[in-house]
Amino acid sequence: MTERTKTPKSKSVWIDGISSFSDRNFKYLMIAPAILILMLVGIFPLIYSLIVSFQNITMTDVDTSFAGALNYKQVFNDARLWQALMHTATITAVALPLELIFGFLLAQLFLDKIPGRQIFVALLVLPTVISPIVAGATWRLMFDVRFGPIAQILSAIAGAPVNIVWTVNPYFVYPAIIICEVWQWTPFMFLLLLAALSNVDQSQLEAAEIDGASYFRVLRQIVLPAIKPVVAVAVLIRGLDLFRIFDVVWALTEGGPGSRTETISLYTYVIGFVQFDVSYTAAVAFLVIALLTIVVTLVIRRMEVSR
Amino acid sequence: MNRRELLGAVSLFAIAPRIAFAQADNAAEIAVAAAKQYAGTEINIVWEAGLQSLDPLNYSGPKWEKLTGIKVKVVEVPTDQMFTKIMQDFRSGAGAYDALNVIPSWMPDLVRAGALEQLDPFVQKYNYAEELTDIAPAYRDNQMKVDGKIYGFPDDGDVMILYYRKDIFEDPKMQEEFKAKFGYKLAPPTDWKQFAEIGQFITDKMAPKTYGAGFFRAAPYPQYMFQERFRTEGGKFFDAATMKATVNSDVGLKVFQGMLAENKFMPPGVEQWNFVDNLAAFLQGQTAMTISWPPYGRWAAGYGLDQEALNWVPKTQIAGKVGYAMNPLGRPELGVGFALAVSSASKKKEAAYLFIQWLNSKQTSLERVQLPYTLRDPFRTSHYESPEYRKLWPDAGAYLDTIKLAGEKGLLDLSLLQQDKYDEAMTKGISSLWAGEDPKAVLDNMAARFDAITEKVGVDKQKEVYAAWAAKPGAYP
Repeated sequence: MTERTKTPKSKSVWIDGISSFSDRNFKYLMIAPAILILMLVGIFPLIYSLIVSFQNITMTDVDTSFAGALNYKQVFNDARLWQALMHTATITAVALPLELIFGFLLAQLFLDKIPGRQIFVALLVLPTVISPIVAGATWRLMFDVRFGPIAQILSAIAGAPVNIVWTVNPYFVYPAIIICEVWQWTPFMFLLLLAALSNVDQSQLEAAEIDGASYFRVLRQIVLPAIKPVVAVAVLIRGLDLFRIFDVVWALTEGGPGSRTETISLYTYVIGFVQFDVSYTAAVAFLVIALLTIVVTLVIRRMEVSR
Repeated sequence: MNRRELLGAVSLFAIAPRIAFAQADNAAEIAVAAAKQYAGTEINIVWEAGLQSLDPLNYSGPKWEKLTGIKVKVVEVPTDQMFTKIMQDFRSGAGAYDALNVIPSWMPDLVRAGALEQLDPFVQKYNYAEELTDIAPAYRDNQMKVDGKIYGFPDDGDVMILYYRKDIFEDPKMQEEFKAKFGYKLAPPTDWKQFAEIGQFITDKMAPKTYGAGFFRAAPYPQYMFQERFRTEGGKFFDAATMKATVNSDVGLKVFQGMLAENKFMPPGVEQWNFVDNLAAFLQGQTAMTISWPPYGRWAAGYGLDQEALNWVPKTQIAGKVGYAMNPLGRPELGVGFALAVSSASKKKEAAYLFIQWLNSKQTSLERVQLPYTLRDPFRTSHYESPEYRKLWPDAGAYLDTIKLAGEKGLLDLSLLQQDKYDEAMTKGISSLWAGEDPKAVLDNMAARFDAITEKVGVDKQKEVYAAWAAKPGAYP
């Protein structure tokens, strides 16, 4: 009898326990598959890459034993790597402000309802839908000394042949890359900023106008604070894009002349997929991840503070 | 049919290929006879993507299938990915590739890794040794063996020779003025000083319509020209005792300064010319001299340009006006090339071997090097002497005589472990030279990069490979 009465009770407690656990942790159960997949595709490769970075895996060598911190030591002594980072920073530091300024100016221009506005906006946005490798190849032809329109226009202006080898001449090679990059991605900034500017509170602008505030004062005290969050996001997105710039540089210069325009993505590609220094590439990738994490964290923190 | 008759029939069927094998009198027939036992199977061969692969796709593959019943699947791979794909297949043990096209300078790396099958036993078994002696010495002695063992059959007569405009060089007025100025006859240059003088002279007289010369100067091509000039001027890549790079010697500096100075009489922007830019300029009559691989000679004569596959080649304006000569100092660079090999990971090694023996044989290769749409160049003595080939265009005989000589005197590309890294160091160095960097500083940097690569590979290991390479007849003049 005791058993008879005890069994249902204990069973009930057990079921209640499960039920209570399920209630409390239902949300975790629901997101568990997603977390598992994320770990498989995100965390596992990261951990595996970390392990590989301490090994000595190359395409040709059969010895894949652990090499300690050798690859990380090499990272700090690799002048070409640091030069590549410097080249990337240079392109980012020049192209990003230019894209922002030109994007803002264009957005200002198209803020008013002018005839054919929609057509012009659509045309302006076209460069962003072109693949960057195609944009780079196209600009390479544009810069060609013999057949390129740029050389022909410059020659017509100068009245004598202008033979600038844009992709070889060290003084022109960065301008060539930046022109191409700015041409392609300014419309992206333009679109975001146009949307942001369109949402600035009109009543504030009208009030400022009635009060006789100058254009620059309105800009500084009303417009810029209003569009700041959008600008911050746009800068972050484009900054990250520029940091991993590859296609345009590859199509235009392949990192040349010499290694003068080799960016960190190009260098990583060469050591990883041309020379197959797998372990060393993993070490370089971790350096890049560390640098990007620091930069992005700082930027996001700054965005949060200003909000 | 009784049991005895049945047994006889089966035995006859079984030994039929061997009888055919015994009756075959050349390497192609031997390969076909022996391969019939694999009828119904399929082999995969790695081939360079693009024009090159039209050979097995359109010609040799279907023909082999018709002859033997073995289907050939062509795996097209861009040149810069071929090494990687071959190694990936080998490392994974997948055995997806049976036969391979390999660039000879990769062979030390591939052999050391164990990716290539040694071919000596097959050569012996299928009586191919004699036909191998017909391959031109520069290829046979330099691009076939690693550590004295055969791993590949040289299959492409890549060599860089000088093409020049006969009509300009033979113009009486030009000849007279040139002789008056320089004191010797206007003729194909025999050294680089003459090359510079002739090039400048023609540019002064004819530019901008025609410049003295044009070369491909964009990466990665000029490194082959550097390798050739550096050695013909007396340079050595390394100190054999220490394996320290010696490319930054006075010879290196002389070569760099010479190359830089020549750009001044070449068309503007020559520093960024690639294979096609240079080809277009020469075929359209914009340059009087160039150095390149053998297809330039064929296309300049208009051979094969009616083929759809070659519709990207500019129409030649100079057919019948092109002369062929050895490069200045007479030891041209072999420059890349291809060898046929068998993958050690293949599960059909014998069938793969028989296919490459048939492809490479005197009989089949003569047909293949005449295919206008592929880039396989003559590489056998019998190709150079072929009456059939010599009739393909009016100057084909002179063309073949020149590439025959080049095939005897050719200098092989530097070939060490992880050669691609040394190649990259040279390519980057030359590219920096075009950008105006100090030649000595560029060479010092190149030498430092050579040393760093050697250090990473292992000095002793690399020293051994370099010694084997340097001992080959085509390594140094």
